[in-house]
Amino acid sequence: MTLLHDDPALRFELLADLAGVDTGTTMQVVYHLWSALSPDWLRVIVDGLTRDDPRAPSVTFLWAGAEWAEREAYDMFGIIFEGNRDLRRIYLPPDYQSFPLRKDFLLADDSARAPGMGVRPMEQPFFPGDTRRQAVLRSSPGTGAVLGPDGEFATLAAGGTGRGPEQIPPETGSGTVTP
Amino acid sequence: MTDATRIRSLDDPELMVDTPATIYDAIPPYPPRSEREAEFYNLRDGEMLINLGPQHPSTHGVLRVVLKIDGERVVDLDPVLGYLHRGVEKICENGDWHHAISNCDPLEYIASMFSEAMPVLVAEKLLDLEVPKRAEYIRVLAWELNRISSHALFIGWLALDLGGLTPILWGFAERDEIVEMLAALTGQRLLFNYLRIGGVNGDLNHEFMSRLGDWMSHAAKHIEDEMRLLNESEIFVNRTRGLGVIDRETALRTTLTGPVIRASGVPYDVRRAHPYSVYPELDFDIPTRSEGDSFARYMLHFDEIKQSIRIIDQVLHQIPDGPVMAKLPRLLRVPPGRAWVAIESPRGQYGAYGISDGSDQPFRLRIHDPSFFNLQAVGVLTPGNLIADTMAIMSSLDPIMGGVDK
Repeated sequence: MTLLHDDPALRFELLADLAGVDTGTTMQVVYHLWSALSPDWLRVIVDGLTRDDPRAPSVTFLWAGAEWAEREAYDMFGIIFEGNRDLRRIYLPPDYQSFPLRKDFLLADDSARAPGMGVRPMEQPFFPGDTRRQAVLRSSPGTGAVLGPDGEFATLAAGGTGRGPEQIPPETGSGTVTP
Repeated sequence: MTDATRIRSLDDPELMVDTPATIYDAIPPYPPRSEREAEFYNLRDGEMLINLGPQHPSTHGVLRVVLKIDGERVVDLDPVLGYLHRGVEKICENGDWHHAISNCDPLEYIASMFSEAMPVLVAEKLLDLEVPKRAEYIRVLAWELNRISSHALFIGWLALDLGGLTPILWGFAERDEIVEMLAALTGQRLLFNYLRIGGVNGDLNHEFMSRLGDWMSHAAKHIEDEMRLLNESEIFVNRTRGLGVIDRETALRTTLTGPVIRASGVPYDVRRAHPYSVYPELDFDIPTRSEGDSFARYMLHFDEIKQSIRIIDQVLHQIPDGPVMAKLPRLLRVPPGRAWVAIESPRGQYGAYGISDGSDQPFRLRIHDPSFFNLQAVGVLTPGNLIADTMAIMSSLDPIMGGVDK
């Protein structure tokens, strides 16, 4: 990144975007850069961050404006950017415990279809450097697709490999949430 | 089940009762979560914290800013976002591509023709779809009209935050004509939901064209009048000139886009840097200024309005006949892949990064909102200024909280 930013032949001066992505198996950080010398954007993908402890180096030393984008990626995906001085939740309240844009975070109406799922604390990092897990991550059948290991998309069949360590009870006939 | 894992529903009677009343205290009732937060809430002698917002008329939405002040001077500030957060990106992942259009509409609610274009353009890029020429011209027409209405409101807001009431009435008068015009075209005044994957929802109609003709006949004169109204106001000029100066390097480091970065001398406009739609066929300039202060940003909006009127004039002369929608199946399965698109919204580069897994729903739809990135500049610009000037600076960056909070 420093090379892309500083090299006089490249000079990608503007960070067009910084996005977190959860592929279902790994976490990614995707950067889009702009240079006045090039007619196109450059996409840089930091791939292969583990879902349990996603960590990436911060780019705030190059673009101070990446600070909020990294805070957003932390808020939504739990990706920890090492070197960001202000890594705390940006949208959600400070006592919130989940990372809602992860693929194993299901919305409330999905939780009504899959008992035991839904909006609930999945993990609680007390401090951005500290990733102690409280609960086991679970994913439900039918959450959609995950990216395969070779980058291709593969749709998960029910009961497929995306199942977490805890087996989920099969869907019951009634659509109510069991308390 | 422990209290922490209990699923809270909105009709839980205890929900509001046990919400601590301290959430609006300036000093947060929890240990600092980051280095910067610890530093900010550690007060030196003579410093104090005040809350600005979340319901302050000058914050353009529900933005809360904690100011650290020493006397009348702002030492540091900490914007607290999230009061309008709706989780649009998550909602988009749970609906199909067509739903995403109306979900993205309220992001930039002053100029929603731009935010609703995001899922449309991403899907078109992934589908590798050729949009009919007429539809592209109608899109450009709607975008430029919406840009003018947004800029007119910006000018009024800036003056309002500096204590002048008249310009916002003028701005709203200008905006109202355009909004009524777009309502004739789209059926909505605010959240248009007009663009479709493969084209637009309807062709130009008679009412729209007659309103547009009326407006075009006096638009340039109205803009000139409004410019004179403020440029000859000594108070306005003194309170904006030389205030909130941001130089070229800082603007690039802070990842600003739009009028803010062009007022600092960087000619980054997506319409020219990465031409999309029919902008390569149109003749217009990218106005830039080198001062980088609030006044330059304000003047740049007038320059852009003039260029937009020029574009609209050319569009009306060049628009071809033909269909306004490409032929597409109703259940749209977007091929797998990744796409990044960006357009130039009134506030800067509006981008989206979409991933499709081959189903009819987006796998991920990341919205890059320029207000979110531009608002970061208040942390750079306001320290050292007076509290009253904080409003002028924040307003000259023109954040829309719907887009900031997503």
